[in-house]
Amino acid sequence: MAASEQPVEPSSNIPDYEFMNLNSTPFHIGSFRDEWLKRLKPEDFSFQPGDQDLFEARFAAAMGVGEETMTELRSVCSVNSLLCHSGDQERDPEVVPPNTTLKTLIHRKKKNNKTQKCTRNRHDLYADELDRLTAGRLPDTKANQLPEGELILTINIYFPSSVEKFNHLRPHTTLLMTGSHTLAELRDAVCCVSDLQVCGEFSSTPDMAPDFMSKDLFKSAYFFFEGVFYNDMRYPECQDISSTTIDWAKSHNYPPFSTAKMEDTRLVDLKVKVGFPYLYCHQGDCEHLVIITDVRLAHRSDCLDTDLYPLLTHKNRLMTQKCSVCHVFIGRWYTTRDQFAPSDPCLFCDKCFRMLHYDKEGNKLGDFLAYPYVDRGAFN
Amino acid sequence: MRNTCLVSWTAGNWFDFFRGVSLDTMPSFYTDFFNEPLTEDVEELLTRFQSTDSVRYGVFSAIWREMKFSDVFLGTTNNSEMKRFCRVALATAVKYFLPPHSYQIRVGGLYLMFAFYHTQPASTPVLIRLALQDWSHVQRFLTESKEAEHHDVLYIYHKLAATKAFHYTAMPHFLTFQKQKTKPEVQCKEFLSKALVLEELQSAEILEEMAGIQSHYEKLKEAAQVRVDVNITHPDFTSRLKQCMNEFFSWQQQRALPKEKNVGGEVDKDPVEDCSSRARLLSSIKQKSYSNVHTTSKSRRHRELEKADSFSSDGEQVQKPPRRKTHASLRARTWKNLGKTDEKSNTKIWLLSTPEQRHGVPLRKMSQAAAYTEYKVMKEAG
Repeated sequence: MAASEQPVEPSSNIPDYEFMNLNSTPFHIGSFRDEWLKRLKPEDFSFQPGDQDLFEARFAAAMGVGEETMTELRSVCSVNSLLCHSGDQERDPEVVPPNTTLKTLIHRKKKNNKTQKCTRNRHDLYADELDRLTAGRLPDTKANQLPEGELILTINIYFPSSVEKFNHLRPHTTLLMTGSHTLAELRDAVCCVSDLQVCGEFSSTPDMAPDFMSKDLFKSAYFFFEGVFYNDMRYPECQDISSTTIDWAKSHNYPPFSTAKMEDTRLVDLKVKVGFPYLYCHQGDCEHLVIITDVRLAHRSDCLDTDLYPLLTHKNRLMTQKCSVCHVFIGRWYTTRDQFAPSDPCLFCDKCFRMLHYDKEGNKLGDFLAYPYVDRGAFN
Repeated sequence: MRNTCLVSWTAGNWFDFFRGVSLDTMPSFYTDFFNEPLTEDVEELLTRFQSTDSVRYGVFSAIWREMKFSDVFLGTTNNSEMKRFCRVALATAVKYFLPPHSYQIRVGGLYLMFAFYHTQPASTPVLIRLALQDWSHVQRFLTESKEAEHHDVLYIYHKLAATKAFHYTAMPHFLTFQKQKTKPEVQCKEFLSKALVLEELQSAEILEEMAGIQSHYEKLKEAAQVRVDVNITHPDFTSRLKQCMNEFFSWQQQRALPKEKNVGGEVDKDPVEDCSSRARLLSSIKQKSYSNVHTTSKSRRHRELEKADSFSSDGEQVQKPPRRKTHASLRARTWKNLGKTDEKSNTKIWLLSTPEQRHGVPLRKMSQAAAYTEYKVMKEAG
């Protein structure tokens, strides 16, 4: 357990702040992982719980301390030394104790007294829900277990630029991914409503609408990290949609950009900055900011089941618009020039839409235009 | 029918609720890195620890119990807020565990990490984040402790490592490209390690100012035609001060040298120089932050940012704080370049399907008419 002297290492693999408290310098993720594994002993990042006796024996041997010193250390440095109140005084964790000198508590009491109005923020209530469900989950089979020394990246995907609210402030989803995942898997994990959009007028053929989702029609997408466009080329329909930007940049004297394949690049192969916004573009013009907020080694309290990764730990929910007839179900059809509708345009849920506009046989009644509508809160 | 009325009424209320809540009141998952009242309490604890002139854990835990410090976690009803607070508390403790603080304060920081980790109320404990850049400082600290035979320091650290209390991370905090709203941290002067205070003195332009004041004083004396031997200070005290400082630095360097020889061929980064460069870096960042006190609004997010560069070896250099030009945000500039004006769309989407109001027909009619006019406006805007 003796701390060893460290040789001088190339500083490019050790991330540091580029702009103070904002983002880091670019670093290669795989090399960063190797740097940590060089410095740590296998028991530091193993998933096995530590054994107290073994630890003490090792410590005594390494430091050359005798049994009496160990006993003294054990008694003085125990967790019981941190108990501030005797066992019978059970403190209510939700109440600030009276007669306190700590400024934190005085400040908290003032804050608690101020906000008397009930701001039950639903986002906050459910913020940790997903985390709680999956933390510490063990896999069914050994083969599915996360290997020790694996990297976990926390990635924030933000709302698409077409949504006016929350564009830069609140992430839409937070995903946890392992280092060995490819960018294609990250792409598949991103849920955006624009993927489900159906273009076209379907008043005569309402049942055919689900067959024409944008997800199936426009499969091209790219990620942009540090001057490289990673294109999705898995399907024959995929095109290199980043070529437009690259050609434009060449003609406007920007530094040259390069391309790579999304499905061939794993997250450990990337060279990125932590905390710096990057781009994910799909459907041609639906752009999302992507920020990698954290990169760290896996820990035993994480979800260890690889089947559950990419893991969704946080999802921001959007208000949904309801049907204008029943106000219960989410609107699925958007009609214009509709003689039956109270307003133009108007939203209907599937049931109300069919009840109002079609007869029992499914024939179209009246004159209207109907478009399938995907609500922004479809992923709530 | 009545049930749907009720449901739609409550749905309507939620509409109003969410409309009314501004973005600032919603707490974000990624908060500020530190919490001011907590930092004050921690500094109080560490000051008391420092005044005891001891690095024993028993002394620390006595102060902890006396201040009833584990109560800092009480009083929060909200689980996610509690988790955020735990994260902030641990980050505060790690801050004092790392340079440029003095050895005793760093020991206090380590004990604090141990204390916060074991007294936090969260059922799945929040872990202590150790960044890769700080690993060498930690190792040096442990070596010093081992040489000084502070067994309790080592025991506490290794116990934390054995209980797997650490997350080995890239950066010390979660970074989301959001500027910190709190004022930049002011280094507590008493906590700095003594070797580095002189570095700060040298890099802050105090000596130059003193020399300037001295020459001004001489000029005033000449103008007032006072005899030259009347002197409040020694005439060359600034140069003598500088000389003393340089002597100290060269002594420091010499003291650091034998360590390198003992390592036997392996090149070790000079701890003094490393700490001093870090101190210089911190003092320059402090300078920049003191000279630019106003906080920038969200729309001016793309202003010049302070870059955390490394310094050249000449220690006198201090960067002048960058002048902040007020220029428009990137978005505004792009819109201007593209020749379009930034019109916000007037459509209020939530009006497209309006819920029934509980009180009578007139409201309903009005809202539908409003929706229709909105639609017309949108149509005209194209």
